[in-house]
Order: sequence, then C-alpha cells, then structure tokens
Amino acid sequence: MGLLTILKKMKHKEREMRLLMLGLDNAGKTTILKKFNGEDVSTISPTLGFNIKTLEHKGFKLNIWDVGGQKSLRSYWRNYFESTDGLVWVVDSADRLRLQDCGQELSSLLQEERLSGATLLVFANKQDLPGSLSKEAIKDALALDNIKTHHWCIIGCSAITGENLLAGVDWLLDDIAARIFTAD
Amino acid sequence: MLGCIWQYVYTSYLRYWLKWLIRQATGTCELQRICSGYNPGATRTSKAEYSLQSSKNKVLRGALEASKDDLEKCVDQIMKEKNIKPEKDPQFRGRLHVCLLQITGYSSLFSSVEDLRKEVFSSECPQHEAMLLKLWGLLMPSVELESRITKQWGDIGFQGDDPKTDFRGMGLLGLTNLLFFSETYPEEARQVLSHANHPKLGYSYAIVGINLTEMAYSLLRSGALKPHFYNSVQSAPELRDFHLLYCYLAYEFDRFWVAEEPESIMLFNQYRERFHSIVKTRLQDPAVSLTLAPH
Repeated sequence: MGLLTILKKMKHKEREMRLLMLGLDNAGKTTILKKFNGEDVSTISPTLGFNIKTLEHKGFKLNIWDVGGQKSLRSYWRNYFESTDGLVWVVDSADRLRLQDCGQELSSLLQEERLSGATLLVFANKQDLPGSLSKEAIKDALALDNIKTHHWCIIGCSAITGENLLAGVDWLLDDIAARIFTAD
Repeated sequence: MLGCIWQYVYTSYLRYWLKWLIRQATGTCELQRICSGYNPGATRTSKAEYSLQSSKNKVLRGALEASKDDLEKCVDQIMKEKNIKPEKDPQFRGRLHVCLLQITGYSSLFSSVEDLRKEVFSSECPQHEAMLLKLWGLLMPSVELESRITKQWGDIGFQGDDPKTDFRGMGLLGLTNLLFFSETYPEEARQVLSHANHPKLGYSYAIVGINLTEMAYSLLRSGALKPHFYNSVQSAPELRDFHLLYCYLAYEFDRFWVAEEPESIMLFNQYRERFHSIVKTRLQDPAVSLTLAPH
C-alpha cells in the first residue's frame, strides 16, 4: 500500500470536500450558495471578502468558499486555491458585454497549478432572465470544449428559482468522489 | 422544562390574577402604572407593548394593529374599557397615545422600508439616474464623471462600471441611504470616503454602505431597533429616522475599521460580524439611542 493510497483512505474516512466558487461580480455566487443551503435570497448584498459555508450533502461534508468577484478582489483569489477539490465557475448568462472578460478569467484560473487537480463545474446562471444566453452559447463563448486539463461540465441554472442547482452539485460530487475516494 | 411550565402558568393564569390583585389594591390598571411609573422611552413603551399584546381584551390588542389616525380613538376606547377617568389621571391619554404611535409606527416604518428596498433600481427611470449622479457629485465634487458607464464608479466603491447591479438585494433603499448620508453629513461622508480610499486600510465605500444598509434592515426586521426608536423618536418613526440610523452605522463602522486596522479587505465579513455584535450589545441597553455624534 503506497502513501498515496493511505492518504486517499484517510480522506475517505472524513469524506470532506472543498469547493471554491468564483466568477465575476454579480454572477450570483452568494445567491447560489444561500439558495442551495435553503436560505432567503431576496436581500443579498455584494460580497466583500468571502463567505464560507459548511454543509452536509449526500453523506459528504462540503466546505464551500464563495469569494467576491469584483475586479479589485480577483488578485486575492489565489489565496483560496489550496487543496480545492472542485471549482464552481458562475456565469451571469445575461451579461453579454462581459462574457469575454469572464472567459479570460476562467482560462487563467485553469492554468493555475494549485487548481490542476480540481473538477470544474460551470453554472450558466440566471436562465430565468429573458434574454439570457443558453448554456450551449455560454459553452462556446468560454471555449469549454478546448479544456483538456480538467474534468468539466456546464449546467444551466437559476439561483433565484433554484432550478438545476442540485443537478450541478450532484454531478460535481460524483466526479470528485470518483477521483479521490476510489481507493484500492 | 420547568421554566417553560412556569412561563405557561404565569402568562395564562398568575399574571391575570396578580394584575387583578394590584388593581384592587392601587385602583389603577397595569397600563396606568406603566405610563406613570416609567419615564418616556424604551422601558415605558416596551412594557406597554407587552401589556397590550398579552391582554385578553380585544380592544387592547386591536390598538396594536390600528392605523395612525385611529389611535386617539383607540386610547379613548381603552380608557372606557378599563374605566380610567381622565380627571383622576390627566396625563394618561397623552402618554398612551405616544406609546401607541411608537409601537404601530415601528411596523409601518418596516413596511415603508420594505417598499423602498423592493423598488428595483432602473436605468430607465430618470429619477433613479438623477439620484445616482447626485451621489457622485456630493462625494466627488471636484471630479467630473466621464460617462454614465465608467470605471470611475470604482473610486466611490462600486464593484463594476455600472453601479446598477450592486443595488440588487437592497434596491433603492441602498441608494437612498448612501445619498442621505452625503446630504445630511457631507463632511463626515467625505471623511469616511477618504478612509475608504486609503491604499492599505481601504474598503469599497459604496459596497460597504450597501452591506450596512442590509445590517440596518435586518435589525429593523428582527425588532432589535425598537429600543433605539422608542428612545429617540417620541412619535411614529419615519423613513428619515431609519436613514439617520444608517448614517450612524456608516460612521461608526468606519471608526471601528480604522481602529482595528484589518490585514486585508478579504476579512470584511469577520469584522462586519464583530461590528454587528457591538451594535446588538448597544441595543440591549434600555437607554440606547444610536445617533451620529461627530468625533
């Protein structure tokens, strides 16, 4: 039994995962986190710094980090990369003007060594808004098909209605679990 | 468990008989004793509120739901119901009226605040746009805004090129508070902005302001601000009184932040929570009145 297997087993016991949620400001990161946790989402203010929530889902203990997305905070994102199992990239599907900006930020994240082992879930959020782009359009705009370094998936969702949040998180957990908890 | 049983027995039987006994002994009802025994303010009004809430009499409980204009009539009905003679206790009518104005005013204040919060900032509304531009003018009087959508908004602490999206949760309430602070306390607001623009200890002025609006809003909603308003406004509190409370929070948070010298803006939420606890502790004091006092 190698060291790696032992480490995997230790982690298996805790069944703990660290998820990092990033995206441009006003993408809906905090709203997703609160909605997923069953909290009121009508009175959310912009995030300065970060929020962290620990919750149980499907027998896993999830530590979800939601870091503010405004430009002046993006240089701090790197402080939260360490031992991230899953990266949740949240996109405002109605914000066409900043889609390019959004794609650039994502591709530079994917080059980060400390995120190289993380599974990527892209939430195409705000599907409830009229004029929002479909998840296929977002997939093309962010050139997701070119990603070869990470397991990834894109899911159209609405943080306000809660639509598809569970589907996205379930996919993410299954993928991470298949990678890190399948010891022996 | 025992406490629960005691609470139940007390509120449903004992309290009633105790009140009856004291009434027979002193010849005054509980509301009279509250109105004459305590000075105007949070203690008197909170006790009157509790007394009315736990009353078995519909007229008394109904007064808590009455509209502002009906309150004088309610006081008369209560006096009739409780057989209180104006000649014997001439002050009672006015005192209970003020208590009722404060108690019912608190709920109507919450509805007005909620309406303003639910009003979405719209770029199509000239009035909303004018408010935004006015805010810029007051905070940055010597700098011209280059265009409506511009990076310059970052200088007063909005997140992106268009402040519109930052008002999502707090709506027009957030903008009105920011504007009110700058209009009412121009010097203090600019002082706070200069601290916010400090290269090391800085924070995003407008975003922090919107977060503090959320703090004020949730304090109001939970009822935690009752003692403050009962002490500071001897009538029904108005929207203006809520904006004044926001000014207090904006000014005091800035002092707190500057004194604490946090390592980075990323710790904002921890410091926000600590400041929140400080405010809640102050609100425990029956004599509390949170008014901005420039230092």
